[in-house]
Amino acid sequence: MNGNRRRTTNLIEVNFLARWLGVMFLLGLTGLFFVYIKNQQHAVGNQSRMIESAIAELEARNEALNARITALTSRGALQRRVDEGFIHLEPIRDTAIARITPALPAEADGVLRTASRDPESRLTVGVPQRILSR
Amino acid sequence: MKGIGARIGLVCGLLVLIFTGFAWRLIDLQVSQHSYFAHEAAEKHCIRLPIPAQRGRILDRNGEELAVNIPVRTVYADGTRIHDAKAVATVASPFLKMSEPDLQERLSTKRPYVVIRKGVSEEDAQDMIRAMDKAGLHGLYLQEATVRSYPNAEMLCHVLGYVDCTGHGADGIEKTMDEELTGHDGFRLIEHDRKGREIVIYRGQEQLPENGSDIRLSIDMGLQALVEKEIDTTYKDLHPAAVTAVLADPNTGEILAMACRPNYDPNKFNEAKPEQMRNRSITDMYEPGSVFKIVVTSAAYNEGIVNENTRIFCENGHFSYGGKIIKDHHGFGDLSVPDILMKSSNIGAAKIALRMPDAMYYDYVRRFGFGQRSGIQLPGEISGMVNPPHRWDMLTKTRMAYGQSVAVTPIQMIMAMSTVANGGKLMKPRLVLNKGEGNAVQEAVPVGQVVSAKSSNFIASSLLKVVSSEGTAPLARIDGFKVAGKTGTAQKISPNGGYLANRYIVSFAGFFPSEHPNLAAIVIVDDAPLGDSANYGGLVAAPVFSRIGSKAARYLDMEPETGTVAQSAQSTSVSLNSRVP
Repeated sequence: MNGNRRRTTNLIEVNFLARWLGVMFLLGLTGLFFVYIKNQQHAVGNQSRMIESAIAELEARNEALNARITALTSRGALQRRVDEGFIHLEPIRDTAIARITPALPAEADGVLRTASRDPESRLTVGVPQRILSR
Repeated sequence: MKGIGARIGLVCGLLVLIFTGFAWRLIDLQVSQHSYFAHEAAEKHCIRLPIPAQRGRILDRNGEELAVNIPVRTVYADGTRIHDAKAVATVASPFLKMSEPDLQERLSTKRPYVVIRKGVSEEDAQDMIRAMDKAGLHGLYLQEATVRSYPNAEMLCHVLGYVDCTGHGADGIEKTMDEELTGHDGFRLIEHDRKGREIVIYRGQEQLPENGSDIRLSIDMGLQALVEKEIDTTYKDLHPAAVTAVLADPNTGEILAMACRPNYDPNKFNEAKPEQMRNRSITDMYEPGSVFKIVVTSAAYNEGIVNENTRIFCENGHFSYGGKIIKDHHGFGDLSVPDILMKSSNIGAAKIALRMPDAMYYDYVRRFGFGQRSGIQLPGEISGMVNPPHRWDMLTKTRMAYGQSVAVTPIQMIMAMSTVANGGKLMKPRLVLNKGEGNAVQEAVPVGQVVSAKSSNFIASSLLKVVSSEGTAPLARIDGFKVAGKTGTAQKISPNGGYLANRYIVSFAGFFPSEHPNLAAIVIVDDAPLGDSANYGGLVAAPVFSRIGSKAARYLDMEPETGTVAQSAQSTSVSLNSRVP
């Protein structure tokens, strides 16, 4: 009996078991990591959706404000403000207008300008402007 | 043993059959009917989310915004998610500007999509959603939408038109440029969870919207504003049926300002009456009266039928022709062609027309652009009315010479006057400078050379005399500039035939500065109740032209012509009571 009992004793193969446990653990860990990554993706996706809607809301508000500014600065609105006396316009008399004509280049009037060293601007820059009054 | 083996075999066989069945079903679901079930699943979880395109803006030539979009929200209710309609109504009603009982009644539904209110401002909509979240309530949701807004309200209404409830242009530039303005909506394929929230990581195909192009008009709002103000004053002071004014660049055909009275606010187009919405510059035809004399004189001079030395006997004011009497407002003897224009002699113009062959005269009338649409980029333009020679009676030709028996639109008339101003080229009127092509500007399009530059210069110099103390329109003078132009006074046509007594359409069309014309304008005052003695183009329309021209010259900083200040000072001494057509 003793001999039989000794024959049926099974030895635990630790190495074999450890290898499979390790494989299982790694597989489990991979699964958990996969779930974790998936959750992260969902979380980031939700965040980006919220940010998108916040940006859209901001853009819409910005557009609404731009439209309001356009309406408030439109000619009709400004004219109403002028009529109400909120804005006062002072007419400029014809006699108070000075007309400054563009300076003539040297080729046109034959006068060589010496004020500027830049050959391009030398012909026009620094020349006293002719002022014609109406 | 045999019995046990058979039983094991039976169980194994059954298991094989069961798993074969499962495998077959699996293949059926995953392979044979894959597309069907994939479609079913997609229908439940996937939706095609439209991304609306923005309608393009309308700008004036300097980039001033004339039509813009305001983002708003459409608030809708999902009745399947509303558990306490009263609580939702209490929270949401202040933001929706609705009474609580009304809102509660509309929320008491089990339908999944009920529009509660359109056009809710972005701020109110977002505040409402926050208040709902704070109260832990659900069932009201937002949809993106925009409303078209015209910041200048009535100003330029006939040119801009408006957008109808479907978001498409229904009139004006909004209609003609609808395709360019509309753009193309984009879309995004999304999957959503049980609560209807998007699952971002399963976001599918996405196509971005293609926004509509901005349209840049040739209109200058500075000029438009001053034209509007002047015709508004005229409309209020004289109480006519209508006033129309158009300002154009004669060299390019660009329309710089276009306005009519009565008008309307395109932001409230549903409150406007049909007569307010008509753009009379292109939809109304009228007998132009003496302004049309520029056509017969230009044509005759261009053909060598008359010249600088031609003198025409004007029958001392009464000319019997075709069994009818053609009259002048004063009796004239021999007049030169410039004098015929200056004095606005109907007899002189009729006699010039009689010297021309019918076909030739008709051809010139057509070449000046009458009897056909000008091609301006606005809807509803009419062609006017010019009968061909085979429909003329004996008097038609003489009447056409001084602007009767012919019907024109204001846009045709100003383009004809521009032809005289720019050296004889008829230009196609242009309202759109750019259709979203960056800074590029479309080229001016000449329709054709109507008369030679010499002929147009001759007529232009003759028209200078019209705006002199001897002419019919001294009140059209502009300080600092030589103005060329022509008055027109035409009786209104009766719907029953003939003309209406004491009812006139008066006009003045002209251009300045005379040397290098930059501006051409027409002012038409329809049926002002002024009586027979005061209702003349030179008395009613010419002063409006003068005021518009003066302000436009100041606005554009046009350099005054030499030797015109003293001349213009004389204009103040002209009597308003002198009878001039």
